Amino acid sequence: MQRKEILREPVKHVKINGTLTVDQLIKQFKNSGSFEAGRLATACDIYERMLRDQKCTVFLGLAGAVVPAGMRTLIADMIRENLIDVVVTTGANMVHDTVEALGGHHYKGHWNVDDHLLYRNHTYRIYDVFVPEEDFIRLDMKLVEMYDEIAAEYGGKSLSSRDFAWEVGRRLTDSNSILRAAYEAKAPIFIPAVRDSEFGYIYYLHASRKRFKDTLVVDAFKDVPEIISVCRKSSRNGMIIIGGGVPRNTIQSAALATKSGIDYAVVITMDRPETGGLSGSTLEETVSWGKLKGQAHKTMVIGEAMMVFPIMVASVIERLGEGFKRTPRLKNGMFKSGGSK
Amino acid sequence: MNKKASDKRKFCGNCTSHNAYNYPDQVFCTRRFLKNKNPIVQTLSCCDEYYPSAQECNCITDATDKRK
Repeated sequence: MQRKEILREPVKHVKINGTLTVDQLIKQFKNSGSFEAGRLATACDIYERMLRDQKCTVFLGLAGAVVPAGMRTLIADMIRENLIDVVVTTGANMVHDTVEALGGHHYKGHWNVDDHLLYRNHTYRIYDVFVPEEDFIRLDMKLVEMYDEIAAEYGGKSLSSRDFAWEVGRRLTDSNSILRAAYEAKAPIFIPAVRDSEFGYIYYLHASRKRFKDTLVVDAFKDVPEIISVCRKSSRNGMIIIGGGVPRNTIQSAALATKSGIDYAVVITMDRPETGGLSGSTLEETVSWGKLKGQAHKTMVIGEAMMVFPIMVASVIERLGEGFKRTPRLKNGMFKSGGSK
Repeated sequence: MNKKASDKRKFCGNCTSHNAYNYPDQVFCTRRFLKNKNPIVQTLSCCDEYYPSAQECNCITDATDKRK
């Protein structure tokens, strides 16, 4: 490569000239092209490409407490507007979605507080968000009822985590709920580590009351052929990852299992690569496994998802315009019901 | 058990089986829930299956103050 090619594109400085829309600001970031502003602008370009590609299935991976922090309605709306086809999430995010669907709330708090004082007041802290214990207790009571009902309906047959999410969503009425939106849109939600959340510990209450007979059975392995079938039927795969962890690995491994690989990738994380953990691993590292195609459109934005993700979505929606309509990639929902009954 | 804990009056609101429910008047009792009984009880009531909570909370103080 010659020197003139190396020094091809000068940094254009950000100019705020009066009122800017979100996408106009992102375009300014693209002009500078530098640091995380530049990466965020690239992330917007990649997400726009995913949505305009009529053969791309868009996966959203959710890890970290974005639902308690306020991203619930945005994700529910994106599912309804077909801006996401498949969600793969931690159990905790769907637990907090259900807490609000049942009338509970998350409260603005502070990170620098006396946590023993919170304990004495039955209040849980998620960084600077507070949750009253009674909202969890109401969740427990309602979910035990749901588990009893689902167990009776399935009569001993096991559910995948997708079936489980579908059955919970079916029983909720809150239109701002992610689980409810996915149920209505027939969009699959996978919760591969469902046991590692309040959903798992509620199982203990449900099963204890039934003396461990005729209980709900959720089979984590049942998810594997289901998510692989999604990738297999998809000509191209795009993933947007918030955080990383089990959801990121689940999406990437499904793409690897089908030998299709991922074509578009945006990862928003604050984790570092040096530990070898997945959440901070670079997308180049993902290429080495064959999970992400070498020529994929990809970027990793090092930033806090509560800021980065809504800005990215707002920018892309602005670009697409009001007339843009995207058809769901999974025809007729692919999974029409809980499926395993 | 230290003197302070042993002197403490027994209430549902300082029993190990309680969680907040309708704060501070009522608490959720896990023990009753597992026995398929109504788990919502008064914070200032008590039963024979009382076992002291390992860490104190404000349920009793706040329920008592509210009752005054």
